[in-house]
Amino acid sequence: MQLNKIEFNKKEIRDAYLFNAPLILIALIFIFLPVIGTLITSFFRDVTFLPGKFIGLENYKRLIGDSHFWQSVEFTLIFVIVSVSLELFFGVIFALLLNETIPGRGFMRVAILIPWAIPVAISARVWQLIYNYDFGVFNYFVLKLGISNQPVSWLGTTAGAFFSIVISDVWKTTPFMTIIILAGLSTISNDLYKQAMIDGTNFLQRFFRITLPLLKPVLVVALLFRTIDAIRIFDLVYVLTGGGPGGSTTPLSLYAYDYLVSGDFGYGSAASVIVFLLAALLAILYIKFGQFKEVVK
Amino acid sequence: MRETTVIKLLKFSGIVFLLIFCLTPFVWMLLVSLSKHPDFLLSQTPLELTLNNYIQILTSSSVHLLTYLRNSIIISLTAAFFSTFLASLSAYAITRLTFPGRVVIPVVLLAVSMFPQISIVGYLFKLMTWLGWINTYYALIFPYITLGLPLALWIMLSYFSRLSKELDKAALIDGANRFQILQKIILPISLPGAFSTFMLIFIYSFNEFLFALMLTIDYKARTIPVGIALFEGLHGQIPWGYIMAGAVVATIPMVLLITFFQKYIIQGLTEGAIKG
Amino acid sequence: MKKIQSLILILTISFFSIQCGSTKKDFTIWIGGSPEEVDFWASIVSQFNNQRGYNLKLIRQPTYTDQRRQGLVISLESKQPDPDLFLMDVVWINQFIRSGWLQPFTPYVTKSKFSTDIFFKGILNTVDKLNDTLYALPVFLDVGLFYYRKDLLEKFGFNNPPKTWDELVDQCKKITPAEKKNNLNFNGFDWQGAQYEGLVCDFLEFIASNGGGILQNGKINLDTPENLKALRFMHDLIYKYKISPPNTYTEMKEEEVRRAFQSGNAIFERNWSYAWKLHQSKDSPVRGKVGLTLLPHFIDHNSVSTLGGWHIGMSKYSDEKNEAWDFIQYVTSYKVQKQLLLKVGWNPGRKDIYSDSLLLKQIPRLKILYEAFKHTVARPTIPYYPQLSEVIQRYVNDCLANKIKPAYALKQMQNHINELEKFYAAK
Repeated sequence: MQLNKIEFNKKEIRDAYLFNAPLILIALIFIFLPVIGTLITSFFRDVTFLPGKFIGLENYKRLIGDSHFWQSVEFTLIFVIVSVSLELFFGVIFALLLNETIPGRGFMRVAILIPWAIPVAISARVWQLIYNYDFGVFNYFVLKLGISNQPVSWLGTTAGAFFSIVISDVWKTTPFMTIIILAGLSTISNDLYKQAMIDGTNFLQRFFRITLPLLKPVLVVALLFRTIDAIRIFDLVYVLTGGGPGGSTTPLSLYAYDYLVSGDFGYGSAASVIVFLLAALLAILYIKFGQFKEVVK
Repeated sequence: MRETTVIKLLKFSGIVFLLIFCLTPFVWMLLVSLSKHPDFLLSQTPLELTLNNYIQILTSSSVHLLTYLRNSIIISLTAAFFSTFLASLSAYAITRLTFPGRVVIPVVLLAVSMFPQISIVGYLFKLMTWLGWINTYYALIFPYITLGLPLALWIMLSYFSRLSKELDKAALIDGANRFQILQKIILPISLPGAFSTFMLIFIYSFNEFLFALMLTIDYKARTIPVGIALFEGLHGQIPWGYIMAGAVVATIPMVLLITFFQKYIIQGLTEGAIKG
Repeated sequence: MKKIQSLILILTISFFSIQCGSTKKDFTIWIGGSPEEVDFWASIVSQFNNQRGYNLKLIRQPTYTDQRRQGLVISLESKQPDPDLFLMDVVWINQFIRSGWLQPFTPYVTKSKFSTDIFFKGILNTVDKLNDTLYALPVFLDVGLFYYRKDLLEKFGFNNPPKTWDELVDQCKKITPAEKKNNLNFNGFDWQGAQYEGLVCDFLEFIASNGGGILQNGKINLDTPENLKALRFMHDLIYKYKISPPNTYTEMKEEEVRRAFQSGNAIFERNWSYAWKLHQSKDSPVRGKVGLTLLPHFIDHNSVSTLGGWHIGMSKYSDEKNEAWDFIQYVTSYKVQKQLLLKVGWNPGRKDIYSDSLLLKQIPRLKILYEAFKHTVARPTIPYYPQLSEVIQRYVNDCLANKIKPAYALKQMQNHINELEKFYAAK
């Protein structure tokens, strides 16, 4: 763009700043300031029952030496990979389904928005009930269909808890993926398919040679947002497992939160900074490999 | 022709699967909320329908369900309104005026949308304590406005950028100032976009959990997601009927919203993701 | 015109927000727990309001202990005027005192000539006081107890429940194989071994019953021969003697243990006092077959129970302190403590109730409880207890899961704790 060459109109600039001031101000105070504040706090011993003290990287050293921290990192990364992959998979399938003209389209769209629009904290409680050991829906079917003669402890074992969280998360976010991909599908001209059909290709060939490549930019954007979102996961785990059993399903944000509200603010802040860095790292990786630049106007 | 029948069958079963996938938890929530014995899947207990759960939780004085709902609605409406408004201001400036920082602002805001909330909430708690805003509406309204800005900005940018600058030029010549132009010309045309933005930010604010968990304490400012997450039901050993009833009450606004405004919501989402 | 309209809209919303966010003066108490417990507290609160003319509001907390603590920390750290009163798990009190969140009771005790002698002195001094100042009072005392199947012991010719751990092993060796023939789920001894706070309680009981402990002479010293022997025994229960099931360290928490025992799948159970009432409920398979006594111990040592329970405290930032003190007096009064005992089975914090002859007839187990209260050990009263507990949980559980050896577990635990101490040492 040729911004650097144009002589800025003084009045325009004044107007522009006036128009942008509220947004900039509010973003500065309520986002940038807290983030920097968190960073600074992480270098202090900030504990409710002790006087504050600058301790440099002590909190971070403690973090690195804490096996629970690494457990959280591991859980977070594995969760993100599994969950986002599944969402992508189902999202594409559902989008392909919805792309056709179906009767009751409006109802379908409402149905698909429901998981996404209901607050996570609330749907998590429903899932808590579904996973209930004694009278939950899943165990009802497990016993009725004879999959096992013992009820499954969905939330009480590490593996069970992990899958319970993944299932609930995929349930909630697949609709979002579906809508995005659906919009992407709608930009693909039908003529391409018509031509391909005339050329004698079958459904799978059309999918892999036309649909997928043309969908790529949309998928990259969707993946980026979903991945960053998945790293931040908190609500679902807080309600469903509380990070248990034994801290095996504690994502990084919950790990940090637990310390913030048990009185060790400094340590919790340090953990929060790590989450921030992780998200930043992922964003950079995506931008580099997803050729994001061309999407930005 | 075989292929099309197979495909038709797949599509049909796919749609059925999709409906079951999306709606089962919701239906289950309703069913349990209306049951006298929430453990009715155990063979010994029968399925008996009753409205008692609802009556109990709505009339009990120590359960502030409706208060939480009111708090949520007011906070989310306010945040959505101001977020959309501020974003419109900026979007207008960015699409109509030339000034240094024109590209920086949207890009920076986009980066901001990726900040993990946990990295913000810690110090935000200190800030709010210092301001004396903990457990007041302000503690949530301002952060929610800010959280909504990136999405709002990108959607409004996409709408405004499609409107010809000629519209402005005509009005400028007539002597109108920029704000009047935004208010009287641009916004009315972009109303669908503004409305979509408003809807989306309302939904995001309504559903927000972490900030509400840490910045509010009780019914005076607590929102419904936190209220339901921490709700342990009333009476008895297995209070799930009450918890589900609470969940249904909490979900009704959202369901109504989507039913009536799904068009706008979907439009907003696709604008934000595709064009942005 | 339009501009004015939008301005009005903005102002209305702002005004609305301000109004609804205002803080009115509220007199509140935060109570959590099972819905039953909270219900009962609600009745006590309304009783109090009716009798004394107050307007105390009960605010419900979640059931999970951790969530209750988190809510309190957020409220107290931000110096909120609410809650005025709240219940604290016995292990939080020290942190709350050291963080300056609790109102000292001294002025109120003096003014109302309140006698603290009626409470268990040991408990008050260890848990509720810091530097001789009183900050909390016990409302509910809990201890780890030993439940046993009277009928099974009789069936196999044992007159008394085991007093030592060796006796327990012997009794189990005789009973378990026979019973297992009819019931594959049968085990000798169920206790809490999952990786959570409860494990620390059980661990403490085992090691203290061998003369060991977490705190020795005021310092945390876990790597001792007494502790090692006890931890080895815990490990042996699962692997060598096979009296405790493998899911001890994966799943066994209070409710899991209680349910296993109640279904008739165990001879012995270690659990808190709440289990008794449930074991005696109408549809309990073990109704009338359960005996209650103190926990076994190692030879030449004594039975020890971990101290649990809930204490009531007043917020330093409360705006209704005099009224709050009134409630504290009310709830620790003889009458109300008796009510708590009879209605929800909460063991009173007052000594005198345990000598009430009528009550003793009604609830004979009071005698055992009183004995147990004389042999309690408290978890370390340090402000960073949650972090300490986490370290202990992790290593003990890993040892029980056979991932590390007991000696190694104790050494590593101690190393880790030394680092924690350095970090949280006052200066």
